Amino acid sequence: MSDFQSEARRARLEPLFASARSLADAASERGKQARERLAASSGLSPQGVDFALLRCLETAPDEAEIATLIRATPSAQVAHVLLSANVFVAAHRAIAIALAASEQVRVRASRREPEMAELLLAGAPGSFQLVDELSPRPGDRLWAYGSDQTMDEVAVTLPAGVALHAHGSGFGVAVLAGTHSDSELSALLRALAEDIVLFDQRGCLSPRVVLLQAEPAVAGGLARELARELAHALAELEQRVPRGQLTVQELSEIAKYRDAAYFTGEVLEAGLGFVTVADTAHSGSWLLPPTGRNIHVLTSANARASLDPHRPLLTSCAFAGDPGLREALRRALPGARLCRFGEMQRPPFDGPVDRREL
Amino acid sequence: MTRNARSDGLHRAVRSFAAGDRSRSFGDLALEIAEFQRAFSAGFARLWASRGGHGQSVDDIPGVPCDAFRLARVAVHPADEDQLRFYTSGTTSGARGMHAMRVTETYQELALAFGRAALLSTAGPHHVVALAPLLDDPPSSSLGHMMARFMVDFEGRGAFDVRSPERWLIDERGVNLTGLEQAAARASERGETLLVLATSFALVGMLDTLEGRTLPLPEDAVVMQTGGFKGKTREIAPAELRAAIARTFAIAEAQIVSEYGMTELTSQMYEASLPGSVLERERHGAPGVYSEPPWLRVVPVDPTTLEPVPSGEIGIARIVDLGNVDSAVAIQTQDRVRRVEGGFVLLGRAAGATPRGCSLAIEEFLSQGAP
Repeated sequence: MSDFQSEARRARLEPLFASARSLADAASERGKQARERLAASSGLSPQGVDFALLRCLETAPDEAEIATLIRATPSAQVAHVLLSANVFVAAHRAIAIALAASEQVRVRASRREPEMAELLLAGAPGSFQLVDELSPRPGDRLWAYGSDQTMDEVAVTLPAGVALHAHGSGFGVAVLAGTHSDSELSALLRALAEDIVLFDQRGCLSPRVVLLQAEPAVAGGLARELARELAHALAELEQRVPRGQLTVQELSEIAKYRDAAYFTGEVLEAGLGFVTVADTAHSGSWLLPPTGRNIHVLTSANARASLDPHRPLLTSCAFAGDPGLREALRRALPGARLCRFGEMQRPPFDGPVDRREL
Repeated sequence: MTRNARSDGLHRAVRSFAAGDRSRSFGDLALEIAEFQRAFSAGFARLWASRGGHGQSVDDIPGVPCDAFRLARVAVHPADEDQLRFYTSGTTSGARGMHAMRVTETYQELALAFGRAALLSTAGPHHVVALAPLLDDPPSSSLGHMMARFMVDFEGRGAFDVRSPERWLIDERGVNLTGLEQAAARASERGETLLVLATSFALVGMLDTLEGRTLPLPEDAVVMQTGGFKGKTREIAPAELRAAIARTFAIAEAQIVSEYGMTELTSQMYEASLPGSVLERERHGAPGVYSEPPWLRVVPVDPTTLEPVPSGEIGIARIVDLGNVDSAVAIQTQDRVRRVEGGFVLLGRAAGATPRGCSLAIEEFLSQGAP
């Protein structure tokens, strides 16, 4: 790619960034409007929307990261984007990737959450097209985000010659290893609570499991201590950022998860959500909590080995511990974003958040 | 009293209840079993304590989620006392649920008693075959084990090789249509009523293989169909499948009886609609309406509060099965049900919780072989 091409691509992104900046600004008219509309469409509380806009919307991406995104994005005659619901800020990065690929960008928003794409377009008129249906042709590229089922449906209906970049379902995990002082542990768990609370845990980067690497003799006690501290952090954060509305199905899944967790271990209330701890005897089985600010604490003497079976589903791995294990996890989980606690929902702006196609 | 002595006493009481003894009510027995399980299962004790620990009525017994059978051992006794272990089909990499049984007599008596009532349309001799893979040894599928017991008990011809391939008419090539034709011919020659025990996906596979051709069975043949599709084949609406089976086998639709059961239970439920059967005579059930045995109750509960819903409303099924003496007397399923005259109707599974999007749904996690 020549410098000229690269600069042209970079220039196409700037109006989008400016639009995002004005949406993040709670004092601006656009910022106020965004908060109202997104609270209505996302089901998040108004504070949850504000928290997500301020913490996760990339208003000033690092230039080196933008350069990486541009280099890594293949060009296309027309770039199509099929957006997912749940994590409304994801529209920004998805459209930026498409703009890096082509001058012609067509976006189909989620029917459940159409607001963010409209808001971005209103602040960057003409930079992309919002459409009701996508009709890619040979030579075009489609970036699709959503459930695995949606990705399968898209794949079979796509005409030959259209390149598909599919980003399906996944979840995040937090790995805690090594020794940490009480204050360090508190800070880590407060940061993790933010990762959980953002988007009420409906994102593919959202952590659903904490894996504590510890010797079996002490693991159970440490896990319960960690769970109590995390439950406290979540309850405290809920005071500032209340949970939004959950669907009946989500509440039903939570009831089922809670009762299964009572049967297999300990359940701690964490505001409206739960932190659950597996009995060490059951640590081999993963109880994946449903969305809605619920997290399961597991112990393992070997975190890397415990994560291995879940590798295809892991999009994000927060880590705190010694550098040797960090490096081992980085090698073992090439598709997952390895990051610090509190940064799971803010990956570098260097391409799709989901790196599993790499 | 020791754990096993209490368990044995409860097993006897349940078998006696099933045989008609009403000196103890269903509710009293259910509460006794729940108290026993609370004493010897730490998991159940925690679950009950989470509800306040009061056990005044059968509705106070919390249902153990079916997921617990995958995540933990759901049994009051240690593993070395297991007589049978049944595994759910579930996922492929070890994430199968397991239901362990210390006492097999109760399972056999209950399954046979209600199976006889629902599936035998005549008092005469029967010939039983299964559209299912050959029973493994030891049996790991509760359905396969039940089918084998039906073969032995319903035919009443004494000991025979229940693992004979001519009885199990699915192999790696699919449904053994020739074997089924031979079974039909054998039953006709001997003047026996043919009973075909089949899973829904086997029946769909058979229909696909036949491509519209018929495979007439003797006119008094009975087909028991059970189970969902679990992604193994294309899905067909129940009424459409029933009509297609009847047409293919040249029998009346009323001779097709649906069964509802699961690995986590000891007992089964059936449509009470087979003409000539004890169950039909007593209950006059309609197709699509499942009837419970007296020792089992299906309670539709609110999916979020898990409290019973008002009569006639849709809920998810909490099933209280007195046969589950040593595991979980009440289980909580995600199957949507509604009580109607004569039983309940099944309305499919509750939809996955996670709104469509990129976050992983629990069922996706399980279907992708979570360990």
